[in-house]
Amino acid sequence: MIEDEPGLRESIQQYFAGGGNVCEVVADYASALQKINIYRYDCIVLDITLPDGSGLDILENLKINNHPDGVLIVSAKNSLDDRLNGLDMGADDYLVKPFHLSELKARVTSIVRRKSFDGSRTVTFSEIKIDLTAQQVMVHDIILKLTKKEYALLLYFIANKAKVISKNAIAEHLWGDEVDLSDNFDFLYSHIKNLRKKIMDAGGKDYIQSAYGMGYKFTDL
Amino acid sequence: MRLLDKYNRTSLIATCFIIIVAGFVYYFTISYILTRQVDKDLMVEENEIFDYVKLNGRLPQVFKSEDLKIKFEKIGNEAVLRKFVDTQYYNDLDQEMEAGRSLISSVRVGEQPYKIIITESKVETEDLIRVIFFITLGIILLLLVFLLLVNRLVMRNLWQPFYSMLQQIKQFNLADQQAIAPLNANIDEFNDMNREVTAMSKRVTHDYIALKKFVENAAHELMTPVAVLNSKLDNLAQDNDITVHQSELITELYGVIGKMTRLNKSMLLLARIENRLMPEQVEMEISEALREKLSEFQGLYQARGIVVEAHLQPCHVNMNRDLLTNLFNNLLANAMRHNHTGGKVIVDLDASGIRMSNTGKDTTLDEKVIFQRFYKSSESDGTGLGLTLVKEICDLYGFQLSYHYADQLHCFTIQFRA
Repeated sequence: MIEDEPGLRESIQQYFAGGGNVCEVVADYASALQKINIYRYDCIVLDITLPDGSGLDILENLKINNHPDGVLIVSAKNSLDDRLNGLDMGADDYLVKPFHLSELKARVTSIVRRKSFDGSRTVTFSEIKIDLTAQQVMVHDIILKLTKKEYALLLYFIANKAKVISKNAIAEHLWGDEVDLSDNFDFLYSHIKNLRKKIMDAGGKDYIQSAYGMGYKFTDL
Repeated sequence: MRLLDKYNRTSLIATCFIIIVAGFVYYFTISYILTRQVDKDLMVEENEIFDYVKLNGRLPQVFKSEDLKIKFEKIGNEAVLRKFVDTQYYNDLDQEMEAGRSLISSVRVGEQPYKIIITESKVETEDLIRVIFFITLGIILLLLVFLLLVNRLVMRNLWQPFYSMLQQIKQFNLADQQAIAPLNANIDEFNDMNREVTAMSKRVTHDYIALKKFVENAAHELMTPVAVLNSKLDNLAQDNDITVHQSELITELYGVIGKMTRLNKSMLLLARIENRLMPEQVEMEISEALREKLSEFQGLYQARGIVVEAHLQPCHVNMNRDLLTNLFNNLLANAMRHNHTGGKVIVDLDASGIRMSNTGKDTTLDEKVIFQRFYKSSESDGTGLGLTLVKEICDLYGFQLSYHYADQLHCFTIQFRA
């Protein structure tokens, strides 16, 4: 994680820690450059505007040295130029500040999955098995008929398993953050309810817990 | 009244007045001088009579003359006052009365006093005065015509720089970021004014750009603290022993932060549209994109019991893809937010434009204010920038955006082509 804002750095480290993840953080260009040339990472979260340099130069350095690390750019700027530059230079994804940690986690998870390509392209959570290539979900070998939104929702939950995800984060993930949906998230409820019902109908357990109306948590505990 | 007309009127009235006064002065002066001339002639005649009487002791013989008549009258011993008088003169030749001038005097021949009346015709003097009068009148008319012509031709030319500058000021628009061009008139006052106006327009444009830059930077700078706030809240939500009350507070904070983020992003987007920073545009068919957007919104509409009716025909538009998405998002979210439960949304798309109608409040909205920044109805919880964005996007591409309310439907229409 290369980020000069201490508040954000700590939050991300805290959110990503646990679950067998190792999250290292650096705050400036110089130490970032040092680190990426010594260690290899599954994914590097890269802030473009650093006090002593540009994140894009770090990206360039990675690509020149043929390092295979996944790169997710985070930037306060939503300008198309930055986005295109970043992606053209080989970044895997681009996220605009501010973002929900759950969104960051989902994006990072997706990059890591793609990078650690093991041929099967499947995600497994207890009895739930997701074929990412076919976009197919199976519970106890029974194929679930999920809508696009329900499928995206399930992947989002699994990427953030055991975390409380706010309704805002879910809505923004499913509908994009530019849609001004107001503070009424009743419409989310039916999507959650349908997903839960479909999993349970196929014999799966109820993994979706409501967190005091604040959000939802997908957990097998 | 225009300055030119006002000036013309004043100068004409003043000129006429002066010419008329001058005419009078001229008339009286010339009249006086000529009368004195006639009087001198009469006095010469009188002296000749006196000399004759002194020399010969008798009255001279009176000859007929064309313009002079002398008459002697015997009088008693009463005194005769010597004086000049204006009289009539009978012209024997023309057999008519003319203006004349007489000298009344007296002479004594021996013991007998005589009264002398010498009369001279003034007809030539009168003629002269008449000629002078007509010449004066002619000069007045000539002057009037000349003044009008000068004003029409010369003044209009003189004022040309002023009018061209006025035109520029009228067309001055901050958003164009086009300062007023300096012009070179050979009149100092206009040059002064033009210099000041040009400098002012430059200053204003510069300040405006600086201000916009500031707004953009401020919005950017705000994003990082908001990101920190958001991430801290995400972590706070993970705490195991959160009470119901705390979770309500967190939910509220999420709502506020979300609104702040959207507001900020809308402001940034507005700034970028106004600064013409969205240049990439493609010719594309939009009915498919709209169909996709509608299916995306389907769940949202359903949750509120809103029925969507869509009539989509192919439509080609040349514009930026992100802005098209934004346009659809804002229109569809707007139709949802200002709707009532169980309401209706009708979307019509054809080659010429798109019409979005929705049920809602039973009153017509004020078209003048709904597209203004941060205008929103009291019950709306949106950012107040949605329709502003729609308007700005339409303005950017020259689309016609209009609103009307009919049959209990609030209807927003965008004409892609005029």
